[in-house]
Amino acid sequence: MFALSPLETEAIQLSLRVAGVAVLACLPLGVLTAWVLARHDFFGKSVLNGIVHLPLVVPPVVIGYLLLVTFGRNGPVGRWLWDTFEISIAFSWKGAAVAAGVMAFPLMVRAIRLSFEGVDKGLEDAARTLGAPRWWVFLTITLPLILPGILTGVILAFARSLGEFGATITFVSNIPGETRTLPLALYSLTQVPDGESGAMRLVFIAVALALIALIASEALSRRISKRMGG
Amino acid sequence: MPHRSLILCFFLILLALFALLIPRAVIAAPSIKIFAAASLSAAMEEAVRVFEKKTGHRVVPVFASSSNLAKQILNGAPADVIISANQSWMDRLERENRVEPGSRVTFLGNYLSLVAPAKSDAGFIWGTKTRLSELLQGGRLAMGDPDHVPVGLYGKAALQSLGLWDDISPHLAPAPNARAALAYIERGETPLGIVYSSDLIGRKKLREVARFPKSAYPPIIYPLAVIKARSSSAVKAFVTFLQSNAAQAIFSRHGFLPSGATN
Amino acid sequence: MTQPTSLNINVKRRLGDTHLDVQFQSDGGLTAFFGRSGSGKTSLVNLLAGLDTPDAGIIEVGGVSLYDSVNAINIPPEKRRLGYVFQDSRLFPHMSVNGNLRYGMRFAPRHDTGDEQHQDFGEIVDLLGLTTLLERQPASLSGGEKQRVAIGRALLACPRLLLMDEPLASVDAGRKSEIIAFIENLRDQLEIPIVYVTHDLAEVIRLADTMVILDNGRAVASGDVENIMSRLDLRPLTGRYEAGAVIAAVVVRHDEEFGLTELGFAGNSLWVPRLDLASGASLRVRIRARDVSLSRARPEDTSILNIFEGKIVEITEDEGPQQEILIDIGTPLIARITRKSLKQLNLQTGDTVFTMVKAAAIDRHSLGFGGSRDRRNKLEIKPGR
Repeated sequence: MFALSPLETEAIQLSLRVAGVAVLACLPLGVLTAWVLARHDFFGKSVLNGIVHLPLVVPPVVIGYLLLVTFGRNGPVGRWLWDTFEISIAFSWKGAAVAAGVMAFPLMVRAIRLSFEGVDKGLEDAARTLGAPRWWVFLTITLPLILPGILTGVILAFARSLGEFGATITFVSNIPGETRTLPLALYSLTQVPDGESGAMRLVFIAVALALIALIASEALSRRISKRMGG
Repeated sequence: MPHRSLILCFFLILLALFALLIPRAVIAAPSIKIFAAASLSAAMEEAVRVFEKKTGHRVVPVFASSSNLAKQILNGAPADVIISANQSWMDRLERENRVEPGSRVTFLGNYLSLVAPAKSDAGFIWGTKTRLSELLQGGRLAMGDPDHVPVGLYGKAALQSLGLWDDISPHLAPAPNARAALAYIERGETPLGIVYSSDLIGRKKLREVARFPKSAYPPIIYPLAVIKARSSSAVKAFVTFLQSNAAQAIFSRHGFLPSGATN
Repeated sequence: MTQPTSLNINVKRRLGDTHLDVQFQSDGGLTAFFGRSGSGKTSLVNLLAGLDTPDAGIIEVGGVSLYDSVNAINIPPEKRRLGYVFQDSRLFPHMSVNGNLRYGMRFAPRHDTGDEQHQDFGEIVDLLGLTTLLERQPASLSGGEKQRVAIGRALLACPRLLLMDEPLASVDAGRKSEIIAFIENLRDQLEIPIVYVTHDLAEVIRLADTMVILDNGRAVASGDVENIMSRLDLRPLTGRYEAGAVIAAVVVRHDEEFGLTELGFAGNSLWVPRLDLASGASLRVRIRARDVSLSRARPEDTSILNIFEGKIVEITEDEGPQQEILIDIGTPLIARITRKSLKQLNLQTGDTVFTMVKAAAIDRHSLGFGGSRDRRNKLEIKPGR
């Protein structure tokens, strides 16, 4: 009963890989974007904020289509990637990772931005008066203090990536072993007249994965808070 | 007082919600709801316009993949007529007693085509090559998901019977429905694709590479049925209209095989 | 000639409703910025530290220009080499005390030998009594302990000037004297000048050599503490209730039988309750105006031990029932008496009067060891009779 079928194993492995890569790729850009939005005021700030949040409010299928138009073989970026690096992300797990990453990005940025705004600027000032240049202050003071926020952002993004469907299936379609992540495998099973039982198994697996991620993040979060709040 | 305006806002929102929730049937004139396979959309909309003008009945068509439509009906969606792109989902609906007994008819037929983007010069003659993948040049073949999308199921059957399936199956781009597959090919994302022959009509971005031999796949039949207990006179009139010469002519023009030819 | 520890400040800054416009100079030691909340003290210190930029002006420390609007000089805070002890200590919560202390050492200018830096650490940890706290987390420290760590952290960054912004504000009363003692020690043992911000006059008297009074963003007066405290015109700013002259004195001897100490100043003797100080130790005494009485004739058969003869220099013309009188008894002294007595005694400027101060009126809070070692050594204090 607990043995996993090849279809399930493949879907789980693919989902974990796609979500993992998506989150790791989002992280540096996410921290940077959150920092810009939290600490700076500039012309066009609300436009940037709007663009970052687009995947939250626009139907995922639309985002998937936009990704297809941009990163597909005939899209501007896709063609450049192919000509320059011989990289093609359409119809591959890399494309799935991009789709997952794009959909999860706003969640990550929100969490990290909140964290930035919670950092006492006075501590950064104090570090500067002690002789630390700005980048050192960022690395040794700001980053450690926003760690809980980064963790939250990562977990949220990971969970969102695990569950990403609409943009993925539109951009990279449903290729077994390549782009058939858990949600897509679930979808396939529900489309077949007698696939319901298989689908339920996948549902349990997906829920279990999500719960594990959430519990792990709680535990980590608590440990970090303890270290800082005594 | 800020409190008062907040409470007013709250009640206004509640009112709006109630208004939106009132069943449309109470406000709107009664209409006929058609659930139809996505590939029928252009043709069906034209037929519906003719019918509405002729009879004054209102028809609301809903297009989606046949599996989604069937599942929604199984879960109680208020459709009056279902037109599926393959038999198995219709069989399921009959098994589950969702269909008015005796109302099931063969409505339309279709053919299967191997297509490429308009700019491509790919050529293929059945039986001359054993590997379709050579034409792909590293790309993929777009088709409806061969696990459950009707056009994909037909495509897989055809490829299997022609001995081309094993070679090509690792290089597929399985789309969630026929429309998505079309999008891949039209955009040039995939060098090859399999679609209904009817999808070629009027599409300048597509080019037929070869039509699949009829013998290679089970006949593509669109069954039509009335949903149980929805058989009103208006519905009956619409079903009759669909099978009339005038309607069949419309569907022919859109590349479908009229039901007379398939029976 | 600019000393390595001199301060030259002339800045203007507009922040919301506050217009800061301050000019003053000092030669080092401990300079106190004194004023009410909102008078601009913290803003001024932030300008010194580089955390805020003046609209115009110049800031020079030890002859080095940190900010000069004319020559477009504006050195960023991390390069100014100033130590800043904040009111709320601002210890880094994610580092231990040890980590906090060492934070600035990485950027401190290298000494000639590697040894010197290591020595500094041990020395300062000892000086501030932090040895047992090194592995603790800041969240588990008391307010007083936090401030000691904050001071240590600022010092270990090898600053050329120490800024302290109301360092005792978040420390509970019991601990305050402990920390003040530390700061006194610091002032005496370390060569670096200190800028000390406070709204508490007792701290100024105890610690400062020079003081700058800030009111509404302007430096209203600056100079030696004794001088400023004896100016009647500044009383509204220095606090009427606490007003009084500050006198530099030296311990002459102790009277064991009666538990008293004799302090000598300007040719007079001041008797106070027994102090725990060695003979020859110099100190500052604040004599509150409300503790000073006047008489035209030398009182006889009185319980008061401290009677000084002097000439009236200035008489205030305040509203209200009380007036203050500045008397020169060899050093300035301020007395507060009722307007009625003033009229009845018909006191005029230039009159000779006798001032009386009860020994018991001089308490611990009135004493300080103001001024750096060098400065005190320069003062010539003559013991009394």
